[in-house]
Parts: sequence; structure tokens; C-alpha cells
Amino acid sequence: MGLEMQHGGKTHATLATEAIAEEEGRYVYCVADAGEKMSLGKIGIAGHEVHTIPHKDICAVVHDCLAQPYQSDDQEVIKTWAMTHQKVVETAWERWGTVLPLSFDTIIRGEAEKSAEQNVKDWLGQKYQELKRRIDKVSGKTEYGVQIFWNPKAIAQNLAQTSPKIKSLEEEIKTKPKGLAYMYRQRLENLVKHEMESKADEYVTIFYNRIRKQVDDIRVEKAKKAENDLQMILNLTCLVYKDKYIELGEALDRINQMEGFSVRFTGPWPPYGFV
Amino acid sequence: MEPTPNSHATLVDLLDRVLDKGLVIQADIIISLAGVPLIGVNLRAALAGMETMLEYGVMKDWDERTRSWENEQRKKKVEPICTTQIAR
Repeated sequence: MGLEMQHGGKTHATLATEAIAEEEGRYVYCVADAGEKMSLGKIGIAGHEVHTIPHKDICAVVHDCLAQPYQSDDQEVIKTWAMTHQKVVETAWERWGTVLPLSFDTIIRGEAEKSAEQNVKDWLGQKYQELKRRIDKVSGKTEYGVQIFWNPKAIAQNLAQTSPKIKSLEEEIKTKPKGLAYMYRQRLENLVKHEMESKADEYVTIFYNRIRKQVDDIRVEKAKKAENDLQMILNLTCLVYKDKYIELGEALDRINQMEGFSVRFTGPWPPYGFV
Repeated sequence: MEPTPNSHATLVDLLDRVLDKGLVIQADIIISLAGVPLIGVNLRAALAGMETMLEYGVMKDWDERTRSWENEQRKKKVEPICTTQIAR
């Protein structure tokens, strides 16, 4: 696949012959709630063997690599890496129940007097309390993504029928001569814009509060570009107790059924947003 | 409503999580990319946020407002405000 070449231009074969501590690293996928030392097989990025480095009752899930970041200009290559990263995290998640996923491309390196493996162990040791606290926080819970969209055209049309301000301005326009009407149209446009902004605020607050009740923790993410003439008005990452996602789904149903609104509900995800 | 499981339909959500979230280790034993990481520069552009969708001129600041509002709520640690029913 040529993916090996992306890794600093060195291949796995040269990795073995250049086993100098400073040049080796451990790519860390996640920290798992288990003190086991074992191999998960060749499921890692570029087919690397994934194994665990334990400390007490937790372990880091890693593969052996060079002390160089994975980087590429090729989107497809990055996508493949990211998907593999997620696959490994998911495998560990299924196996051990609770994991703290790490961000892509986290590599712990070796030093002249200390191997990369030892550095991972020491890191687990130094951060043990903090890692355990984070594990406790996400234990028994799952992450879900909730994105709420509205159709601006449908909402604007609806506003035109319901907003007294817009209605009266429209009535006024009808009575104006053509030249003046143009100016009034501009005024109307601004008014619609303004009313839509306050509508968005209003709905966002209502939706947020409804969803907040169904989840253990919640993060408001940046709204993303949407397709099909829709606008994303709320982008949430939710941490949910195992079976509570059903109630969350019901709350989302009510929003999804509202005219002009739609909801995307994704998951379950390992708790990337709550570590 | 059933959640859509992690699949091709959720590739963007996956990349969003794997590339931008997850635990970040702050330590000098971590290999880091100097400056702007090469990784996913285009990808990040493809995942661009609200800024790109402001052609409508609608909702310029609400996104920021919502997020800062949430931060405030978080600080205050108050129970969420009661919701009101929306007329359909």
C-alpha cells in the first residue's frame, strides 16, 4: 500500500535494524481499563501489531514505530489511518469496556537512556491518578453525536406568516409606490434576518435544555457546514449512560418531527470528547 | 430515533473525533509536528465550520454566543432552565 513509506520514508525492516532507543517510538491509540499485557494482532496503522503496555490495572494500547509522526498530503491516506486508529480504539473498547481514546498521531519516543516502552510505562505511572479519574468519569457511558439542522427557507416562510412585525411590514410595502417599495424590501430582508437569528437562539436554548436532561455530560461543538440547503444550528457531543440513549432518541424524535427541522444522531462512539 | 452507527455515513464524524479530539498528552516525550501540522490540512478545510456558511448573513454570532453561554452555564453549575413547549 506504500503507507510504510509515508512514515519518514523508512520501512518496517529498517526499524528492526535501527533499534536505537532515541529513534523508536510507541504510537498510542488509547488507555484501557485493564492491566493486561497482550497482543491484539496486526490491526494497527499500516498493519502494525498492536499490543498493550500495562501499569497496575490500566494499559496503553500501542504499536511499535519510529519516533516520527505519521504525515501525508494525501487525504485518502489520512482517512485510512484515521479509520484504522478508530478501529483499534473500538477493538479495545469492545474488549475492555472503558477506554480513553487518544488523539491521532500521538507517539511517545524513547530517549538515549530510556526505551520508548519504558517512557510509556512511566507516563502511565506518573499520570495514573488522573487517568483513573478520567476512566471513572466515562465508565459505563457512551458518546453520541447530535446535530440539529433547520431549513432556512421553510423557517423564513413560516416566520413570514407568524411574525406580526414581518406581516405588518409586508402589508405596508403593498401600499408603497414602486421606487419606495425597493427600499422597503431591503428593510424586510433585514427584519427577516434579525427575526431568524432570534428564532435560532430561542430554539437552540430549548433543544439544548431538553437534551441536557437526557445525558450525563454535554459539549457544544462548532456548527458545521451542511448540505441540501440545510443549516446546522446545534452540534452536540453527548456522554450518555449505557441505556439512556433510548430516551435521548425519543427527545430527538420530537425535534425531528418539527416542521423545518431535522436531526442527525450518530454513535455509539468511544468517548473522544470527554477525556 | 435510533443512532446511526459508525460507518461510511459517519466518516466525517469519525475524522472529526480522531483528528481533533481525544486525549492529548502534554509531555516532552511526545513527538510533535512543528507549526501547522501537515496532517489533514485539506481535511480540516473540508470540515470547515460555520464561517463558510454565512452567505445568508443569517445567524452570524449565535454559534459563538451559544458556546459562550454554555460555558457560563458550566461555571455557574446551575440546573438547566425549564424548557417551554414549542407550538408546532
